[in-house]
Amino acid sequence: MQLEVSHDSFPVTRRPLTISSISGSSVEIIFEAVGRGTGLLAGTDTGSSLRLLGPLGCGYRLNPGKWLLIGGGLGAAGFHGLAASIECGLLLLGASSQDKLLTIPGIETLTVTEDGSSGRKGLVTDLLETVRWGSFSSIALCGPVPMMKAVIELMPPQARTITQVSAEARMGCGWGACEGCSVPKAGGGFLKCCSDGPVFPADTIDWKLWEGIH
Amino acid sequence: MDKSGKWTLWNREFNSPILLASGTAGFGLELMEQDFLEGAAAVISKATTLKPREGNPPPRIVETRFGLLNSIGLANPGVEEVLKTLLPQAAILPCPLIINVAGETAEDFPAVIERLEESSVPFGYEVNVSCPNVAAGGIAFGASPEIVERIASLVKSVSSKPFSVKLTPNEGSIVESAKAAQAGGADAVTVCNTFLGMKMDWRTGKAPLKRNVGGYSSPALLPLTVARVFKTSEAVDIPVLASGGVNRAEDILELLAAGAEMVQVGTWLMRRPDAARELRESMIGLLESVSS
Repeated sequence: MQLEVSHDSFPVTRRPLTISSISGSSVEIIFEAVGRGTGLLAGTDTGSSLRLLGPLGCGYRLNPGKWLLIGGGLGAAGFHGLAASIECGLLLLGASSQDKLLTIPGIETLTVTEDGSSGRKGLVTDLLETVRWGSFSSIALCGPVPMMKAVIELMPPQARTITQVSAEARMGCGWGACEGCSVPKAGGGFLKCCSDGPVFPADTIDWKLWEGIH
Repeated sequence: MDKSGKWTLWNREFNSPILLASGTAGFGLELMEQDFLEGAAAVISKATTLKPREGNPPPRIVETRFGLLNSIGLANPGVEEVLKTLLPQAAILPCPLIINVAGETAEDFPAVIERLEESSVPFGYEVNVSCPNVAAGGIAFGASPEIVERIASLVKSVSSKPFSVKLTPNEGSIVESAKAAQAGGADAVTVCNTFLGMKMDWRTGKAPLKRNVGGYSSPALLPLTVARVFKTSEAVDIPVLASGGVNRAEDILELLAAGAEMVQVGTWLMRRPDAARELRESMIGLLESVSS
């Protein structure tokens, strides 16, 4: 979905955000205030009204069978809702420090932090060596592009074919018109992050080109 | 506008002066599905070229403090695919569709329009002379009144439908180009297009846009558009379609007062896809408050 973060004209575009979970008529979002837009959003008073456009785009294909979720930082926010809709076997989470580490109760979770403030000290890729890849029928991957690329490269090729990644891009309209949010497509051309995605099968992306953008 | 609250373009009457600007509404299909075309007189399609274009490498858009820079690179599936897939779907739009046409050479424009003439769907065309003329080393076609006139007359010779020439604010004189478009047979001019802009990250010494420069659009452009619309409409007899900086009903009325026949809304559609309905309602409210 996208949220208008200001009541005046600037920033012009809305901020694209992952719906973390839905309950009744409420949606929960988890975000980090990293720039002007999310900074304004973080400063929004309780009880304020914001315009929301959504739901937009295509989410995870909720395949049956056991899932492995791999998340980096707050990029894993969407796993809350996902975990409630699938059979989640294992969650691997990495973050820079404990305060950026999400928790999803009731799911077997292995964590790693860069500063060692929670779980092992290291990167999420350090957790991959223990994974029994053959025991999962779907994999969800979400986080910064370099982290996702590193995970994809360490996976056995078979695992790559069952992996769905949640992508991020600078977005304009949010519904496929402006072609601003291109993600390089494997074999040439571009995917629209907002309407073809933001969740894509991992093997539809040209990872080398995509990493070059970030 | 006449006294009954009607606006006219190319002998057709509309209950709104709002056109959805090229590149911000696709071919209107997604907006139609959500009932977001209410309040729009017509949709102007994204640019259509002779051959398919992948567009520029990302990042293609970047927000600046007071507006948006884009460098999409005229990504589009090409005229054959537009004819085969998009125009048949667009036949059921609740408002007319104007097809925006871009080219790499002057001859591309009539070539694309000759193909589009096969379809009864387009209400008219918008000829984008802001794109680079490959034969002239990448200077925009619109920089030269002679080339603008030539393109307009080439288009006139193949088109059974009316067309507007979308002028560039970046090179040459808009007024001279507008006169040239009229002399070549254009049925309107669009004034104007995005302004060449660039953002620089001083920490890295790099521009966030892959192509460095892009088109700048913003509500802050409104006075620049008002001035150009005012000067152009004094210089030509054909309708002036204003484009640039509109995000309030007052902006539309201001541009109409400055001489525009119709007013385009572009970047603001990215913020509010249903902007046409909202703007039209509020504009009618303003007009009524003045007349009562």
